[in-house]
Amino acid sequence: MEAILFYLLAAVTLIGTLCAITARQAVRAIVYLVTSFFALALIFYLLGAPLVAAFEVIIYAGAIMVLFLFVIMMLELAHPEKLAKPRLSEWWPALILMLVVIGSVAVLAAARQPAPPAAFHGITVREFSVTLFKRYGVAVEVISMQLLFALVGALYLGRRR
Amino acid sequence: MTLADLFSIMPIVITAGAALLVLLTGPLLQAGSSCAIAVAASLAAGLWAASASPANAPVLPGLAFTPLAHFLIPIFCLAAALTLLLSHGYNQRRAIKGEEYPATVLFALFAMCVLPCAGNLLILFLALESIAFAFYILVSIDLNRAESGEAGLKYLLMGAVAAAFIAFGFSLIFAGSGTLALSAALAAPGNRAIVSAGWGLVVIGLAFKLSLVPAHLWTPDVYQGAPAPVAAFLSTISKVAAAAALLMLLAFAPPLSEMRAPLYLLSLFSMVIGNLAALLQKNIKRMLAYSSIAHMGYLTLALLTGSKEGYAAVLLYGAIYTAMNLAAFGAIAALSAAEERQLIADYSGVGFSAPFRGGVLALSMLALAGVPPTAGFIGKFFIFYAAIRGGQTALAVVGMVSAAASAYFYLKVVVHLYMHRPVASSPQNAHPAETAALCCASAAIVVIGVYPAPLMRLVDVVLR
Repeated sequence: MEAILFYLLAAVTLIGTLCAITARQAVRAIVYLVTSFFALALIFYLLGAPLVAAFEVIIYAGAIMVLFLFVIMMLELAHPEKLAKPRLSEWWPALILMLVVIGSVAVLAAARQPAPPAAFHGITVREFSVTLFKRYGVAVEVISMQLLFALVGALYLGRRR
Repeated sequence: MTLADLFSIMPIVITAGAALLVLLTGPLLQAGSSCAIAVAASLAAGLWAASASPANAPVLPGLAFTPLAHFLIPIFCLAAALTLLLSHGYNQRRAIKGEEYPATVLFALFAMCVLPCAGNLLILFLALESIAFAFYILVSIDLNRAESGEAGLKYLLMGAVAAAFIAFGFSLIFAGSGTLALSAALAAPGNRAIVSAGWGLVVIGLAFKLSLVPAHLWTPDVYQGAPAPVAAFLSTISKVAAAAALLMLLAFAPPLSEMRAPLYLLSLFSMVIGNLAALLQKNIKRMLAYSSIAHMGYLTLALLTGSKEGYAAVLLYGAIYTAMNLAAFGAIAALSAAEERQLIADYSGVGFSAPFRGGVLALSMLALAGVPPTAGFIGKFFIFYAAIRGGQTALAVVGMVSAAASAYFYLKVVVHLYMHRPVASSPQNAHPAETAALCCASAAIVVIGVYPAPLMRLVDVVLR
């Protein structure tokens, strides 16, 4: 089961990333990239790292990509096409997806006790933080200096002349 | 972590603290004071590193003040201080204002101090990337010239690709060996194919940083566009840092047999193509860029041997190359007015109108060509000696022939300096800071050339 899920997710990640780098429109590329981030987040979850999965969704798919979208929209680089109103026959993918979502929610609601497999050992937030700030504390400090100077450089280069 | 541990990584703490201090106090102080703080901090960090005693045990997880750090950090700090001294007058003439410049130089120095201390692949990667990051800002620091921004953008795009290569390579090595530690990742390759693939990606990524031949295309454009003191810093210390990273990776095990062919070709093409392309250049900074490609080819030749002698030659040459290129680019910076003298022909007769700076430029050209009493000869001699001892005779002969051919374009500058009539107006007076920096760099060239024993003893201690 996990192996099938993994290969499905890996395929989605790879295809999403490929589409992202070959897409001609920036907005489409971003949507493809978000798709691949979601698949990647699920792979992290399968590996037993729920916290990393949550970060992947919240920070990468959520914050950074939305920021990208905002910037592209504000710069008006995307030149959105005018679309006609969707016809009735174009609604069925949305309907199928709706059914899938409702079905999954129903299954989750029916199976009250989420029974994780015995082998599944998730990493807790405490373990994650201890490793991050003890074993890789130096790396965190170096990255924070780097981010600070990225900010300094961006402010300097963006200065009005 | 005890107080003694803190003391042994003090150079890192000093440079990071000073970078933040310069940023915070910059708006309150004059440009000269920010620069003075930065110079003082880098000299202090260098002195501390030179006087502290190295130890191989990690101070913090993944950070150790190794003998390599004990050797390299003082060189990095001295070069940063000289760069800051060189750029003070230059920045005044070119109206480059703001505390961002000294702060970013200090940030680059901070990353360079972290690099030789790194004990695992993650910190090594972050240090390399932080150095590149600082240079993206420094190359495009001149807001008044479009070329500076263009060079910065080119460097950023190429550097991002190189970073992706290195990151992918390190993650493949991690996947193959299951650990990020430098020593464990290389001593026992559990999964040979994956580890070799990772090595291949790391080498091509580091070839970007060292500007070895298939990955050299950014070098001439970036050197030409960057302000001359930044080009001095970029061409010396970032190259030495990248070579040190490669050395740290190779030092745990002789190069894998799969690595020989790529390193061989990188070295061969860099030496031949770098020197041949430099023959055709009319712009002095582009000429120096191609010459640095060729010099990195010599360095790779010494790395290829995989012997202790080869690694000693790399470290020795790193120190010597830093002095030579700092003097060359420093003289170019000191001779520039509101505009830089771009072409080699612009330097006609400068040897008489500005004897000291012209003399330093001529000395650095002779050193780069490898003329005996200068340090350049010692460096090249040990590289070719180590290569022949290490069994790379054919490549060493190619290197020697191309080095002999390179004398043509180095001596062309000297001929223009002393044997042509002046065409441009004579240069303005040098800033005292520039004079002091040029004095230091040229003194290093002459002293190491005449009396290399102390430096060689230091290198010996590092590799013991």
